[in-house]
This record gives sequence, structure tokens and C-alpha cells, in this order.
Amino acid sequence: MSLNEPSSRTLPANSKPISFTSSHTSVKKVADGVATEGYINIQDLSIVFGKGKNSFVAVERISLEIPPGQFVCLVGPSGCGKSTVLSAIAGFVAPTYGTIQVDGRVVRKPAGERGMVFQQPSLFPWKTVLGNVAHGPLMSGKSKVESHRLAREFLQMVGLANFADSYPATLSGGMQQRVAIARALANFPRVLLMDEPFGALDAQTRIMMQENLLKLWEELRTTVVFVTHDIDEAIFLGDRVVIMSANPGCILADLPICLSQPRNPEVLIEPAFANLKKDCFELIRRESLLAFEQQSRRSSKIQRHR
Amino acid sequence: MTKQQALNRLVLGLSIPLFLGLWEAVSRSGSVNSVLFPPPTLVAVALYNWAIDGSLLIDIMMSISRVVVGFVTGAAAGIVLGILTGRYQILSNLLSPVFQLLRPIPPIAFVPIVILWFGLSELGKWFLVFWGVFFTVWIAAHLGVQRVDKTLIRAAQCLGTPEKRMLQEVLLPGALPYIFVGLRTSISISFYTLVAAELAGTFSGIAYRIEIAQQNLQVGQTIGGLIVLGIISAVADKVFGLLSHRVVWWG
Ligand SMILES: Nc1ncnc2c1ncn2[C@@H]1O[C@H](COP(=O)(O)OP(=O)(O)OP(=O)(O)O)[C@@H](O)[C@H]1O
Ligand SMILES: [Mg+2]
Repeated sequence: MSLNEPSSRTLPANSKPISFTSSHTSVKKVADGVATEGYINIQDLSIVFGKGKNSFVAVERISLEIPPGQFVCLVGPSGCGKSTVLSAIAGFVAPTYGTIQVDGRVVRKPAGERGMVFQQPSLFPWKTVLGNVAHGPLMSGKSKVESHRLAREFLQMVGLANFADSYPATLSGGMQQRVAIARALANFPRVLLMDEPFGALDAQTRIMMQENLLKLWEELRTTVVFVTHDIDEAIFLGDRVVIMSANPGCILADLPICLSQPRNPEVLIEPAFANLKKDCFELIRRESLLAFEQQSRRSSKIQRHR
Repeated sequence: MTKQQALNRLVLGLSIPLFLGLWEAVSRSGSVNSVLFPPPTLVAVALYNWAIDGSLLIDIMMSISRVVVGFVTGAAAGIVLGILTGRYQILSNLLSPVFQLLRPIPPIAFVPIVILWFGLSELGKWFLVFWGVFFTVWIAAHLGVQRVDKTLIRAAQCLGTPEKRMLQEVLLPGALPYIFVGLRTSISISFYTLVAAELAGTFSGIAYRIEIAQQNLQVGQTIGGLIVLGIISAVADKVFGLLSHRVVWWG
């Protein structure tokens, strides 16, 4: 893995290369590629839904520290609590136990500093693409002119400058999701939370979106927590992959991903990629088995208590 | 245009003339009492006589003004309260049971008490139309606010939308498609309460004139009044339909 690989990119035939102009100085948060904001500190997080007999432990004792600017992928089987962890960081769900801090401040409610991209684009259908992207800056008190200027800049970055005046319903799913990403980023969040943002897209579009996202991240160095259950996607995108166990969700493994930077699709055929993937699968398998045994032991204990 | 399409067009254009022709023929055939069932030509003459002395215009204006006042006030109150009860559980708990109790009572059933309260004044007519419109719009706005996509609300929250701007930025536009369905339904309701209100006693208006004509056995004018009423409410519905497509273009 060398860091000075040629950056030739092999794009899928139908994807448009995304143009990056060099005029993004105002958008750049960090000049030297070192982020200083967006430190996430999760301590002993447990989330229990419901009360009494019907209570359900969705997340159990998760501790996770994410340094500023890191791209963390959270993987795990369906229903293991990935979305719940993300919702808690966003401030939609309150921790039952434990704390979540972002840059030293305890998360209590949703705020613009923690942007989110959902599986569905969730754009405001009554606003134009530009209006959607300008929403965040407007809400944070920027002038209309300034907000629109920022929005155009971010639309340019996701390659949709020409669609500024369209309405979301006239865009394809992939384009809508790019607008959603631009919208979240235009707010300059300290943390970008992404919940299976490419889950609903076809394979081709997905690859293009992944590359676009990496490009954006390299430029902005926002801390990203990216939920997926696609291990390929997680290894391709992440600096680090955190694997969660099936219910109740807790952390099985925390793997640093040392692949060539900047990432391009060629890493997918590097032997290192295949090795990492193998490691991940093995970890998941072994730990799942372990967790499964623990779980069945625990549940039999509970039954004995009753 | 294919032959089939041309034929379809032709039949569409013939629909009303054929209906009028049949009516004319039946009415003049002698098989029905043409005093009670006058032909369209005589209805047209009656409408013409009604129009030239200026009273048709006055009647139309009076009826429309009642609908407009009742509809606008009822819709405004319904939208405001619907958004509030849809948004704030405590207000919903306070008001919804009462509204749900009053809502199913047909507005027409209020005519007798309205006459006691307001006499034959305009206020009574406005009140009845208001009553008919309010509950329909209220429930539409209430449900509309509650059915706004939760993810949209979350998206707005993590874009830093302050709570006090949520209404204007997300809840109102999100509920608008529902509200417009409620408003459109209310248009026909308001005409139907208007008729009840005018029949109950007044001195002008289309439905009032229909009743007076009936008492004088001027059947031509009675039927003419029905046609005028039909045209007005059809136009109102059409105009509103166009308007709602412009306001809620995404819905
Ligand atoms: N509001 C809630 N009330 C009760 N239970 C909930 C609630 N939200 C989530 N859960 C439960 O918590 C568990 C974790 O849900 P979560 O959505 O976080 O899973 P996930 O890992 O995101 O799954 P997927 O990959 O399918 O999206 C699930 O079993 C779910 O049923
Ligand atoms: Mg999920």
C-alpha cells in the first residue's frame, strides 16, 4: 500500500466524473487536511425502548471514541441497533444510560452541528433543490444571498449545479441522495451521520456515490459515522470499521482500515482489501457465535430467575 | 387524431345538447304536465326575465357573499386550530373531544336554533356556512400535521431548524396537501349549507328565489335557479381545483 499511487480513476461507464473547481476555499474547513472539530465520545451508552416487561434493550454498553475528521463505518446485522446509535448521536433518542459528547458538549437534542443523511433522501418536496440545500445556512442565520451562494457551491461539489431550480420529485433517487448530502454538508456540521444512505440505490450508482462522498470528505474532513450492512462498502469508505453484534447491540470489533489513500475503486481488487474482508467475516462469525452462546446463557439465566 | 378519438370528442360535445333536446321533447310531447315540467326554452325565458330586472345579479351576489364569508372564516379557523391541535397534544386533548362531538351533527340541523339566535340576519347565514366548513377543515389540518413525514421533521431538526420555525418551514407545507383536500370538500358543503340557510328565511339569494318562485308556481324560474346554483358551485370547485394545483404543486 503506497500513499503515492497514481490517482487515475476508473469510473463506471455511465457515471459522470464529478468536476471539482479549485474555488472552494470558502468551503474548506481545514487547509492542511487536519480536522480539529467533530470529536465524538460515547461512554457506556445503553438504549432501552419501552418500560417494564415490554422493555427492549436495543443498544448495550457501547463505548466509542471517534477523533475529529475520522470516517467510521458501523456495520452489523439488521436490527442490531445501528440506526439507534446514530439517532442517539443526532439527539433524536435519549440515552437510557451513558453519555454522548461531541467536542466536549453533551448531546441533548438535535442540532445543526450534527448533520444527518437518511436512507431515503427526505428532501422538502415543496422546495427547489437550491432551496433544500440553502435551508441549513438560512436557519443558522445566514443571509439569503450568502445561503444561496453556499448552496450553489455545494451543489457544484455533488455535480448537480444544473439542477438548482428543479424540484426533488423530478430527480432520480441517486441525484436526490446527492442533494441530501449537499444539504447536510452546507451546514458545515461537526459530524455527518449517514444511515445506509446508498442502501436504496443500484450497484452502479452506489459506486459513483461512494466515490463522490470520499472526494467530499477528503476536501472537508468532517467526522463521518456511516452505517451500512455492506462490508465491502464499509471497508472501501472507512478509516475504521466498527462491527456490532446482533441484539442487544454491542461492539464486537473495531478495525482500523489501512488501505491506500486517497481511496479509489482499484483498492477493491487489492489483496489487502480481500484480506480485510476475510478478517471482518471471520470476526463477525466468531464473535457472533460467542455472542450467541452468551445470549442463550443469559436468557436461560433470566428464565431461571422468573 | 384517430377516428375513435374524433368520435369521442363529438359525443362529448353532444352530451348537453342531447340532454336539453330530450328534455324539450318530453316536456312538449304532452305526456307530462308542461306547467310542472317546463321545457328548457321556457326556463331560459324565465332566467332572462329574472336577469333583466337586475334581481338575478343581486341574488347571485348575496348567495356568493354568504358562501365567501362563511367559507373564509370557517377555513381560517379550521386551519389555525387544526394545526395547533395536530401539533400540541395538550390542545388536542382540550379541544378534540368537543369538536369530535359537534362535527357529526349535520349543519342543517342548526337552522332552527340559528333563527332563534340570529333571526333572519346575515349573521345567521354566515354562521351556518362557517359551521359546515370549520369542522371539515379542522380535521383535515389536524390529521395533515400529524401525517407529515417524521423523517422530514428530523431532517429539518438536524439542519438546525429552531422549534419555533418548524411550523412555517415543515409542518404547514407538509400538511398543505391534506388541508387543500379538506378545503375542496368544504366548498360543496358550504353551498349545501347555504341552501338550507336561505330556505330557512331571508330576503334575497338564489335558493330564496327558488322557494319564492315555487310558491308562485313559476316552475321555470325554480328550475332556472337550480341551474344557476349548479353552475356557480361547479365553477367554484373548478377554480379551487386549479388554485390548489398551483399552491400544492408537489402533492
Ligand atoms: N422506537 C422504538 N421503540 C421500540 N423498539 C425500537 C424502536 N426503535 C428501534 N427499536 C428496536 O431496536 C432494535 C434496533 O433497531 P435499529 O433500527 O437501530 O436497527 P438497525 O441496526 O438500524 O437495523 P437495520 O439494519 O435493519 O436498519 C430493533 O430490534 C428495533 O425493533
Ligand atoms: Mg437502520
